[in-house]
Amino acid sequence: MPEPLRDVLLVARRVVLQTLRDPRFLALALAVPVLLVLLLKAIFRGVPAFRALHVPIDDYALPVGGFMVFFLAYVLSTLVLVRERRDGTLERMLAVGYARPAIIGGFVLGYGALALAQTVLVVSATAWLFAIPLGDRLLPVSLTTFMLSMVSIAMGVFVSAAARSEGQVFPTIPLLIVPTLLLCGVVLPLDQLPRSLRVLAHALPPTYAENVLLGMMRHGHSFAQELPSFLALTAFGVALVVAASFSVRGAR
Amino acid sequence: MHSVQSVVLARGLRRRFGRVSALEGVDVAVGAGEIVGLLGPSGAGKTTLVRILALLQRQSGGSLALFGDEPSPARSARLRRRIGYMPQEPALYEDLSARFNVRFFGRGARRERVDALLGFLGLGERAADPVQAMSGGMKQRVSLACALVSSPELLLLDEPTAGIDPVLRERFWGEFRRLRDDGASLLVSTHQIDEAVHCDRLLILREGRMVADTTPASLMRRAAVTARLRRADGGLEERRFPSGGPELVGWLRGLSDAEAGGVEVATDTLEDVIVGLMREERPGA
Repeated sequence: MPEPLRDVLLVARRVVLQTLRDPRFLALALAVPVLLVLLLKAIFRGVPAFRALHVPIDDYALPVGGFMVFFLAYVLSTLVLVRERRDGTLERMLAVGYARPAIIGGFVLGYGALALAQTVLVVSATAWLFAIPLGDRLLPVSLTTFMLSMVSIAMGVFVSAAARSEGQVFPTIPLLIVPTLLLCGVVLPLDQLPRSLRVLAHALPPTYAENVLLGMMRHGHSFAQELPSFLALTAFGVALVVAASFSVRGAR
Repeated sequence: MHSVQSVVLARGLRRRFGRVSALEGVDVAVGAGEIVGLLGPSGAGKTTLVRILALLQRQSGGSLALFGDEPSPARSARLRRRIGYMPQEPALYEDLSARFNVRFFGRGARRERVDALLGFLGLGERAADPVQAMSGGMKQRVSLACALVSSPELLLLDEPTAGIDPVLRERFWGEFRRLRDDGASLLVSTHQIDEAVHCDRLLILREGRMVADTTPASLMRRAAVTARLRRADGGLEERRFPSGGPELVGWLRGLSDAEAGGVEVATDTLEDVIVGLMREERPGA
């Protein structure tokens, strides 16, 4: 096996093992997005005032579920490298010859396993709770949600790779999450945004994921029609992993 | 003299942190198959120097060559694989086992090799235990195993014996000597001066400057003899003489038999000489 690939797998395996050793973290990471979807249903179906708004919540449930996975994956992954730097283990990895791209690749792959489990749970729980017949949309919807969480992990790793402390990381959470929620197309359609905010929305990767999810769930588009948005989302993910590799500090 | 066989060759290393100067033009050479001790009081710049040599920090000035190569971004990862680095703090994954940590930092080292190493360091029975369940001394041993597992040619050990008991310290130094005899080069930073006797050569840092680069035997030539004479009136006279010189004999001859009988003579130990070097005022300071 080529050395760089072996190093990526070693880091990923370590990340997965540490996740499995922490059942409380694992349970929270998997349960929280499902609980949030459940809360969404309770609010929009159970509260008369919300019901009176006639929000087509069934169409929005999966896009909102995807956003929740994105949010949670970002919060969890931002703390990753900061914790490693604080404990000296990041420096030690570099000192023994793990290359920066291998470390970042390993993190993304390792936490990607967690993201995959979150995606499967959220998509299946949302479809079941809201009685949404997914049919042949199951695979593209799951794939898009998974890709969104991978991009989120890459963003989190990128931010925490450049940060020196938790204090530098925490303010980025609302800074990213609030504009993303408001501009990604779930709250307001993109074409109703002023031009300047539309430009900003297209600089945020979740917008492309929500394009796919809303296109398929609300507008009845096929995955092929939404493929350009899916490819843009994937390109963001690759670019962020590369950027994170270059931004790891702690070694010459 | 070290340029041909030097594993580490640094000239005029400088490192500044903002307005604070941690290293001010330090020369370091570590040859193949030698144990070099890096001594100095806390804050002398030992850790900064070790981290620069481990390619974990850039120098602000001066030159560095490892194994004859100047480190560059393209070469650093390859060079690091020839180096074993033990940081001052254990820097381990506390939730994972000792065995897993050593295998991981050995970049997939073979389990037999890892178990043999942990067994040698007295952790054979605890290999499967999470690091967080271990004592400080055990964590130090796991950390040392992580540095040794890839059989590096150069070992950079930052205070490896800090906080461990004397028996374990002896075992560590025994292992360092064995590695040296097998051809490895070791730079061992310590503020425990009694460990200087284990080193082939000593570098003494003070306030970011190298104040000595010598062997323990050469240092001992700087040792002085202290003679204490208790006088009949109860007073105490203390004199210092160069070790091995005629001055002490001449002074003793000048004493009466009764006085000479009350003289106590003590020669400086290696530790006394090193402490003296560390305490000397900087010229112009």
